[in-house]
Amino acid sequence: MNVQLTLALRYLSGRKLRTALTTLAIVFGVLVIFGMNTLLPAFMRAFQVNVLAAAGQVDATITLKTSDAFEVSVVGKVAAVEGVRAVSGFLNRAINVPADYYDRDPTTPDAVSVLALVGIDPAQAMTVHTYPVQEGRFLQEGDANVAVISASLAEALGVRLGGTFRLPAANGETTLTVIGILPARALPGNEEVLVTLPQAQAMLAMPGKINTIEVNYDTLDKARRAESERAILGTLGDAYQIGSLASNSELLTNLRIAQAIFSLLGVLALLMGGFIIFNTFRTIVAERRRDIGMLRALGANRATIFGVILSEGLIQGLVGTALGLALGYLFGAGLISLVGPLMMQFVHTRLGSPVVSPLLLFGSVIMGVGVTLLAGLLPAISASRVTPLEALRPSVGAVSFKRMAGVGFWSGMAMIALAVIALVTRNVGLIGLGSILFILGLILAAPALVNPIANLFGALATIIFARSGTAQLAEGNLSRQPTRAAITASTTLIGMAILVMAASVISSVEIGFGRVMRKSLGSDYILLPPSVALWGTNVGAGTELAEKLRAVNGVAVVSSLRFAPSRINGVAVSMLGIDPATYPQVSGLTFSAGDEAAAYAALGQGRNIILNPVLASSVGAKVGNEVQLLTPTGYQAYRVVGIAGDYLNAKIATGYISHANIAADFNRQEDVLLQINLAPQADKEAVVRALKETLKAYPQFRLINGQEYIDENLRIFNAAFVGLIALGIFLAVPSLIAMVNTLAIGVIERTREIGMLRAVGATRRQVRTIIVTEAIILAAIGTAFGVLTGLYMGYLGVQAVRAAGFPMEYAFPAGGVLLALAVGVLFGVLAAIIPARQAARLEVVQALRYE
Amino acid sequence: MPLVQTEYLTKVYGKGETAVIALDHVNLTVNPGEFVAVMGPSGCGKSTLLHLIGGLDRPTEGRVLLEGRDLSRLDDTQLTELRRRHIGFVFQFYNLIPVLDAVENAALPLILDGVKPGAARARATDWLKKMGLGDRLANRPDQLSGGQQQRVAIARALVADPALLLADEPTGNLDTRAGDEIAGLLRKIADEWGRTVLMVTHDPRIAAYADRIVFLKDGKVVDETRLSGSSTEEAKRVMAKMEAI
Repeated sequence: MNVQLTLALRYLSGRKLRTALTTLAIVFGVLVIFGMNTLLPAFMRAFQVNVLAAAGQVDATITLKTSDAFEVSVVGKVAAVEGVRAVSGFLNRAINVPADYYDRDPTTPDAVSVLALVGIDPAQAMTVHTYPVQEGRFLQEGDANVAVISASLAEALGVRLGGTFRLPAANGETTLTVIGILPARALPGNEEVLVTLPQAQAMLAMPGKINTIEVNYDTLDKARRAESERAILGTLGDAYQIGSLASNSELLTNLRIAQAIFSLLGVLALLMGGFIIFNTFRTIVAERRRDIGMLRALGANRATIFGVILSEGLIQGLVGTALGLALGYLFGAGLISLVGPLMMQFVHTRLGSPVVSPLLLFGSVIMGVGVTLLAGLLPAISASRVTPLEALRPSVGAVSFKRMAGVGFWSGMAMIALAVIALVTRNVGLIGLGSILFILGLILAAPALVNPIANLFGALATIIFARSGTAQLAEGNLSRQPTRAAITASTTLIGMAILVMAASVISSVEIGFGRVMRKSLGSDYILLPPSVALWGTNVGAGTELAEKLRAVNGVAVVSSLRFAPSRINGVAVSMLGIDPATYPQVSGLTFSAGDEAAAYAALGQGRNIILNPVLASSVGAKVGNEVQLLTPTGYQAYRVVGIAGDYLNAKIATGYISHANIAADFNRQEDVLLQINLAPQADKEAVVRALKETLKAYPQFRLINGQEYIDENLRIFNAAFVGLIALGIFLAVPSLIAMVNTLAIGVIERTREIGMLRAVGATRRQVRTIIVTEAIILAAIGTAFGVLTGLYMGYLGVQAVRAAGFPMEYAFPAGGVLLALAVGVLFGVLAAIIPARQAARLEVVQALRYE
Repeated sequence: MPLVQTEYLTKVYGKGETAVIALDHVNLTVNPGEFVAVMGPSGCGKSTLLHLIGGLDRPTEGRVLLEGRDLSRLDDTQLTELRRRHIGFVFQFYNLIPVLDAVENAALPLILDGVKPGAARARATDWLKKMGLGDRLANRPDQLSGGQQQRVAIARALVADPALLLADEPTGNLDTRAGDEIAGLLRKIADEWGRTVLMVTHDPRIAAYADRIVFLKDGKVVDETRLSGSSTEEAKRVMAKMEAI
């Protein structure tokens, strides 16, 4: 037998509950990391295909600088580049239709004057776009003289499925049969006639040619995308150019933030798992000192002992990681099923199944097994250092506070002091560093603080419920092993800190965002586009819609937003056009710099712009600065007249200019969102009926009551908040495991003492009370430290979010603190159940004989 | 040449005012094949003496020679090897690994020494049968009586064919009958299998099984006596000696 593996397996199976709980810690960590990171590609994929593709937008478009056509074979070269997930090459040419070509009626205006003939490879095209055919079917390879058109084009041409229409072509007029009809075109631009590539090439007399390649990458990482782009251009040569569309960056920003949060949570969970493993192995080494000493007495060398402990860790790491991967996938799938409907409602996006990449799989395995082995390393080294004699005659000495208040304690206190100073500076970077110092300082100072804190809580416990000296015994037990108590308390610290920090951020967000939201969405009614956060993907309405709405009896004010993509200092920006006169009546920006009234007035005069806080901090601009906006006709200088934001665009770099300027500089007059206020005495029902009637011709908008929309958003917020708090409690569960371990080892080490207590007259109930009191004191120590840390981290979180430009104000999380205290004490009681029962069940005589 | 020789062996615990002299310049010789018992009142240093001879602890002064080798010159690795191959230990509380069965426990020293599992198991089984445990080979410690566990421990102590067997209160946790069985086994180990046995005990009846008894008091050897058999009379003689000390 391999003695290390055999012993490891036997010990693991000998303590099934302990093994299960410890393995659970690893399962948990891997589950979070793996599960969360399977979601992100699913989001990315969904956005790319469902949202971006629906708007005709992909990651990058490759064309010749001269806009001329090129060989089809170029597609293959691009597809072979590392980082390219999907490619589609096509031939896209605008075809001017002669006057009266279709209606042959010179007296009526032509419904169609320009068409875009798009020749595609159906299989390729479907990897970058979705084509939700309403009637008939989509194109297939080999199709000839057939076309797929939109319902709006079919109507304009007066054709149905199976009908035919003519199209001028280079090779003469071509008659195409409609084999498929897509939804009505919702985007600005020419109606498209989709045909197979060979068909288009023939019609345009361009055999073997395409003029555009669309590309989707397989990563969100900016650096890797840039690398792929360089590789593509390197392969194709500098006659080609790559255009990435600006509206992607909004989405990329959101997805990157999500990725960072997910990964942070996962790492945190795994670190906690590692802490638990460490604590458990310390327990194991202490429990088995006699066995270890005996093995050494028999001639086992240190490497053998080291190997036994580490083998146990390896086995648990492998099993835990495997289970974590499986459960993580299910977790991801479960989250998708929960979040999917929200995504559909809020951002009009359909999610698929979780995506597992080889890199993620490999990385999760390395992390799961690696953390376990690392966590077991110190206990394994400690076990190998146990001398035979030490293990045969264990002894526990008394520890005084003075002795413990050494270098560790004072270093810890110094770190805490520095962290508090950092808070005062309000500098996010310093506060961040301070948070690390704070936690480290607490951990260093904790052993020395265990005694006085245990005394304090012990006195409380005595008053509250524990009499007959049991509370004193409990606190004394903790003081005997202050380092062990401190390490266990540290695990509770992390759990409770996360809880309180989450509560801080949530309550601050609620105040900050809540205020902004109520101001932004304060109109009576809103006309919402399908994707609220992604303006570039929506088709709006011409100015006539707003005029029609104004004409409805009972409508007092109609104000609209218009959109154009731009860049300032290379930063992708959403330009929103607002009417400075009407916008403040239905909505309002929340100003953090500049005078509100003056800023709105300035918008209407000359090239002036209001930047939102995210954009202002990205480009480092202040009120009075000049910024250069990239427009289709070149750069235009705008003066910053205010820094203010609204709820809908809080996360995206956004600039607000007037309708006049967005029309003049960006040629945009399309309204993408409208807000309506009714006249004071208006008949609401009648007005709503009239509005709905008007909107029949504009199916891209959803009419919603302003308060209803606010409530809808608050519900989403609340769901997210509850989810975060639940996650916080979830992350605190490993601390429960740590406490159980610590108490269990305490019971074992004090077997004789417990036997003695029982021999001199302590009841089983009193023995249980000692253990429970010890657990509560331990939990109280950890919770106290955790609450302090959580308050600090919460403050840090709020400052960090404010620095990033989001409107936030720190709110003390009274509810969160109370919740943490309650959860902490509850965990203490739960942790005590098994060890207390063990202690109470000890037979007196056997316990006295125990050595 | 003596198998075991101690020269001015001293062990002091603690420092200054709280220093405790557990052993005070003890000179002891044990010859090959001898069965020696060490007796004395509580705290006289008998277990300390055993631990120092077994290389489990290091002396403050003096030295231990085992088969002519000075243990104080050996490092941890060499001491470990010594314990694996040349010394067998039997403890009061058996100290079997709870998750291994009888054969696996008995085979441990060989496994640790790199002997192939098959061969190790075979030798362990052989010794267990000699201990009368042929029908208990697959039992774990919690499935064995105290006496049976101690016999497994003895088998484990002998499986590597050590020259010296050190037993620290081997009957301390057993009833009279089981204790006699174990003491008888130790006697057999010396007589039939030619091992040297050094046993610490507080029980005169058990000590009477030895060839020679060394009496310790306050860390010093205060008396020695040779015995002529493990009879009741000898046991009484030993008891009288103990009381005199």
